[in-house]
Amino acid sequence: MRQALKWTLIVLVAILAIAFGVGCYFMGGPKDLYGFLRYARPQWHNTKLHVGDAAPDAVLYSLDGSSTFRLRDHIGTRPLVLIFGSYT
Amino acid sequence: MYNQYKDRADFLAVYIREAHPLDEWEMKDNIAQNVCYPQPKTLSQRVAIANDFVKRFNFPIPIGIDAMSDPADHIYGGWPERLYVIDESGKIVYRGGMGPFDYHPAEVSAWLARRFPQVHTAKLSDAGETHEATATFGAMSANAPQKNASERHAN
Repeated sequence: MRQALKWTLIVLVAILAIAFGVGCYFMGGPKDLYGFLRYARPQWHNTKLHVGDAAPDAVLYSLDGSSTFRLRDHIGTRPLVLIFGSYT
Repeated sequence: MYNQYKDRADFLAVYIREAHPLDEWEMKDNIAQNVCYPQPKTLSQRVAIANDFVKRFNFPIPIGIDAMSDPADHIYGGWPERLYVIDESGKIVYRGGMGPFDYHPAEVSAWLARRFPQVHTAKLSDAGETHEATATFGAMSANAPQKNASERHAN
């Protein structure tokens, strides 16, 4: 029984070590692996929107931050390409 | 892509919360290129960073800035970067994947080329600058296209 437990632990540790190594390899290092797991992974499928759905409206601020406009104000006359992102 | 289709389609960039701020998941590339900001806590801080971005790249696409509660980001799943195309009836006709790995401006370009074949044919000679603006926005991360990376160094 103890022998089985010991080997189970060894196999688990080996699997975790391999997963950690592969993760670090693909993400660029332990810090980036942590960043991916902490910040990116939870959001991987965080939109329920699909092709064919009505585009939801949103209120956005102008570049000077002093006024707002609605996303829907940009919809209706021509196709709209929406680009989400940030500087960093 | 913007220059190619701006006369036929509208473009709107939605500036959302930072993908790689100093106090979260900072990236070596950002540090090397002096793109070092903590995650904004106020709208004025987010507005300031968005303006820094626009100035640095002479970013030509109109920008709307998401509120600090991130409503547009949450509903569209925009973080860290994502592309959509919405047709004239208000329906989503293209939803890109989550960036940076599934961020493919070429897919948007292909949709526009199918929709406006005459533009695509007429502008084939401009293919070299096909999607620089959409690729630059939100793509300071490691897999940003090389052309844009070199442009950033130049700036």
